[in-house]
Amino acid sequence: MAYELGVEYLKVWQPNGFPSPINIAKTLEILLVDHTLGIAVLTSITRLAIGYGISLVLGFLFALIMLRFKALQENLSPLLLGLQTLPNVCWVPLAVLWFGLRESTIIFVVVIGSTFAITLAVESGVKNVKSIYLRAAQTMGAKGLKTYQNVALPAALPEIINGMKQGWAFAWRGLISGEMLMQVKGLGEILIVGKEKADINQIIAIMVVIIVLGLMVNKLVFERVEANIRYRWGLD
Amino acid sequence: MSLILDGVGKRFITKHRVVHTLENVTLKINQGEFLCLLGPSGCGKSTLLNIAAGLEKPTTGKVYFKEKEITEAGPDRAVMFQEAALFPWLNVIDNVEFAMRMSGMPKKERKEKALQVLKMVHLTEFQDSFIHELSGGMRQRVALARALTMDADLLLMDEPFAALDSQTKNILQMELQQIWWDTKKTIIFVTHDVKEAVLLADRVIVMAANPGRIKKEIKIQLARPRCLESLDTAYVEAQIMRELKNEVEKVAKAEYDSDWDLEKDTILLGPDHYLGIGL
Repeated sequence: MAYELGVEYLKVWQPNGFPSPINIAKTLEILLVDHTLGIAVLTSITRLAIGYGISLVLGFLFALIMLRFKALQENLSPLLLGLQTLPNVCWVPLAVLWFGLRESTIIFVVVIGSTFAITLAVESGVKNVKSIYLRAAQTMGAKGLKTYQNVALPAALPEIINGMKQGWAFAWRGLISGEMLMQVKGLGEILIVGKEKADINQIIAIMVVIIVLGLMVNKLVFERVEANIRYRWGLD
Repeated sequence: MSLILDGVGKRFITKHRVVHTLENVTLKINQGEFLCLLGPSGCGKSTLLNIAAGLEKPTTGKVYFKEKEITEAGPDRAVMFQEAALFPWLNVIDNVEFAMRMSGMPKKERKEKALQVLKMVHLTEFQDSFIHELSGGMRQRVALARALTMDADLLLMDEPFAALDSQTKNILQMELQQIWWDTKKTIIFVTHDVKEAVLLADRVIVMAANPGRIKKEIKIQLARPRCLESLDTAYVEAQIMRELKNEVEKVAKAEYDSDWDLEKDTILLGPDHYLGIGL
């Protein structure tokens, strides 16, 4: 309705610069029918899953190492913060030179984008755990790794989840920019093809797909975990 | 002899000065004894308890538990804090099971024992609740249950009832008395409440501040179970009060302006005190 009003009657928008929702839906249908979209979504999601999985492991590992060795923590924290400000796309040229035009390049970009967000969240989360919990755990015989596993990490979980969400968003960014620049199969590629064909419908259709996917994961995974935490801690 | 504190001292060095929280405290605690550390705030009684728990290290002196020197915190000495220190991410029964899980006890045994102690503190109905759903008194009972599961002979309690309202407090004091009677544990109980000390303790250690030290040791030889309303407890209480008064005043003096005096300030000034002063 708003669209019709803007384009047909008020003429504020050009149809070739701002396509109608109906046309976008049609393009989506075409992309779906010839399986381009399905394959692209699958490959992209697979890459994302692998990349994000690696980020999670590395992110936690780095954080635990930093927490264990104070000197590392003092020296590396500013560096990590600096790396965080660096946009993911900046890594693409470097990754291409290192790995060539391969799958691992994109995964590298995804990983490097999201790992540090997770590391920083885990580190600050654990550092902010109330000392009374750690003292209580100590008197009950928790030591070393057991303390991390049973007290420090669960206590820091609310903050860690935030970092994981942030990492997830960064992973998406890395993925799409990597796919766009390298032109390998995936959602980013369809986006670039859309640009080359000057097909505004396709571009916006893919943007919609990306947003919907992002929302779905947020709804299905993060929101559930968060709701569970809020319930347990009584934060509602 | 359960716990021996031998010439224990503790200094905190801050930016501006050195604070002697404890100086040369020597104390022996017998097996199965209920000991109260009583003193004004700032006399180092909590610090002393933390040292016994192994959470803090003494600057001078040594602490022995069952002939072994204490170097770190461990499950052989259970601790209860002023705030319950329960874990909000676990429900009641998982909280109670925590110490047993740390020691690697099998799941079934763990659960059985957890239910058994929850029964002791009358909380079996709330085993699946989360911590935020409990009242302050219930939280402290869960904390007590958790401490009891550890089978530690020594139970260290740091003003566990101080944050509770007085009715809940009375109920919990009675329950603790009963549980101590049933389990025969050695308990060191820190408090600033004279009533509480007289009600619970076999022996009260009155502490003095600046530097923190033992001022007097009082054996309480009243029959058990004791109750708050009895005249005997009130009599002993008054006795200890006299002991403590100087100390409280001393600590208060350090915190008030120099012209403050307890005697003078307890006389209420009537509204007509200054009558006619402006004429």
